[in-house]
Amino acid sequence: MTKIEVVLTNEAGLHARPAAQFVQKAAGFSSKVTIHSGGKTADAKSILAIMGLGLGKGSKIELIADGPDEGECLAALRALVEGNFSEG
Amino acid sequence: MEEILRGTGVVPGIGIATVKVLSNDLTNDLKQYEAGTPAQEASRLAEAIQVASAELVQMKAAAQTNGQQKQADIMDAHYTMINDPELAAAMAAKIEQGIVAPQAALASADEFAALFDAMPDPYLRERAADVRDVGRRLVRLLVGAGQIQYGVEAVVLCAQEIEPSLAAGMPEDQVRGIILGQGSTTSHTIIIAKSRAIPAVTGLGDAVTRIVDGMLAVVDGHAGQVILNPTPEHLADYQEKAAAEAARMRQDSEVAALAAVTKNGTKVQLAANISSPADMTAARAQGAEGVGLFRSEFLFLGRDVPPNEEEQFAAYKAAAEQCGQHLCVIRTMDIGGDKPLSYLTISKEENPFLGCRAIRISLKRPELFITQLKAILRAGAYGSVAIMLPMIISAAEIIAARQYVEQAKTELTQEGKVFGASVPIGIMIETPAAAITARELAGECDFFSIGTNDLVQYTLAVDRGNSAVSSLYSHFHPAVLRLIDGVVKAGHEHKIWVGMCGEMAGDPLAAPLLVAMGFDELSMSAPAIPRVKEVIRRFSDEQIRQVLVEALALNDADDIRSLLRDFGQN
Repeated sequence: MTKIEVVLTNEAGLHARPAAQFVQKAAGFSSKVTIHSGGKTADAKSILAIMGLGLGKGSKIELIADGPDEGECLAALRALVEGNFSEG
Repeated sequence: MEEILRGTGVVPGIGIATVKVLSNDLTNDLKQYEAGTPAQEASRLAEAIQVASAELVQMKAAAQTNGQQKQADIMDAHYTMINDPELAAAMAAKIEQGIVAPQAALASADEFAALFDAMPDPYLRERAADVRDVGRRLVRLLVGAGQIQYGVEAVVLCAQEIEPSLAAGMPEDQVRGIILGQGSTTSHTIIIAKSRAIPAVTGLGDAVTRIVDGMLAVVDGHAGQVILNPTPEHLADYQEKAAAEAARMRQDSEVAALAAVTKNGTKVQLAANISSPADMTAARAQGAEGVGLFRSEFLFLGRDVPPNEEEQFAAYKAAAEQCGQHLCVIRTMDIGGDKPLSYLTISKEENPFLGCRAIRISLKRPELFITQLKAILRAGAYGSVAIMLPMIISAAEIIAARQYVEQAKTELTQEGKVFGASVPIGIMIETPAAAITARELAGECDFFSIGTNDLVQYTLAVDRGNSAVSSLYSHFHPAVLRLIDGVVKAGHEHKIWVGMCGEMAGDPLAAPLLVAMGFDELSMSAPAIPRVKEVIRRFSDEQIRQVLVEALALNDADDIRSLLRDFGQN
């Protein structure tokens, strides 16, 4: 199990489009991935669960991955978040 | 009998056609649904999810091909929702309890939508509609209801709300207008209507229930009203307006699609002057290739505190994104004592146009300047942007400004914010000093843009707003033409591009001269673009070179104007 912390710096936060990108990225790995923020937890492969967290810009989130490709998976998600979901 | 319903016009334009009322009611279809065993229901649902996913992928690709990125994003979000594991789990649980697949889809989507409904963020609340739409898409596939059936006749669609999945399939040339009961201006259906320029009026509330199939309706998106069963006079009136609108749009869009080239193929970039990202819609409709002047003043005026970095960043980013691959030139604040602002504390000046304004304020108030530079640099990560400094009279000012740009970059790096690493820095040439020393200034910056309004006023010492002398004001004055010609040459000697963003750039009479001088870019208010482009396309390089030589040999502004008028009538 691996854990990282990232801050959402993109304008939209984890709303529809970035959330879709996030889920599609996470779904590419076999590890189980969860998002933790403000005492709530969501399956990182569920867009409905993620949007349900209502994470806006500046939110700090913890990502926990568990599985054979957990390292790569978290690295890919970190790159996506820190690259601001290549908003544009 | 004629009836006028008032709402909010959200997409301008006039649409006239018979009404097609869309019912969101699937009750009948659900009643007729033949239930299978839970195993059969589960497999029907799986199949529906597959078909829906394929539809969404196809619609997303079609939207992307048409350059409708927002719609493509909506389809992408719906695709992800329809394949959501939690939604799947909720539906599977219901089917196991013996609920039929369409009811399971409807109920599960409703459960998630209810969560969104309860959210404080208005954007997320709107997403409830997306989740419900995803559920209903599945239901329509399961019960075989499918998409809206369009006949051969044009229609005005009317509904309490139109689901995006239905709106996305609207044939552009057949849907002439949209009437909605609900009042959202940001729903995906409205976004789709905007991108296709389908006139729309929303917020009619329960009045929509009075509208029935086959009524003749005029949707007036300008006035935000719907005229049902119009009187013959009103109808004729609106038909005339609609025809004029269509003719103008056709004409402009024909020109908009053409390149601004001479008969020999010499190309000039025609860009737009804007004051806010909202101006981009008109700019693009007129075929603007990027923005040559984003007047950032609008962000600063009419308020008690300066706009913060985030606010500025959002505006610059929005404009840059809408420029696509073209450049968005953002001019740093150009304000002076003529428009006093409490937070600028400029003391009263005898002569604000020769006083503390524009770059002079920016260099004295680094905190304001650096905030603006940071916002522009950050926007550079989302598109192609450039910084333009106003009112420059010396190389020292450019060097000082560059140091602040470096400081802004350092701060952004420390703050971990992404920004465009290679944002060009150019200057406005709007003082005689800058025009005359253009060779020296060219070594310190990446581009020139001539601001003719100030350059003419400072060169001729004429205040255009003063009616006693305004007849002396002319951008065809030989002094102005020679200065401009010299600036283009100086810029090109130093291999930097030279543009113009004053009113002269949008003057069709001036266009042949400017192209002959070798301007790389002309930036003007969007409505001026089609006319200027038409003029440029009419002449060969030889013809415009000839008229430039003749014009530069004349000594009087009026003579030059007459020469150009005669030339333009060739």
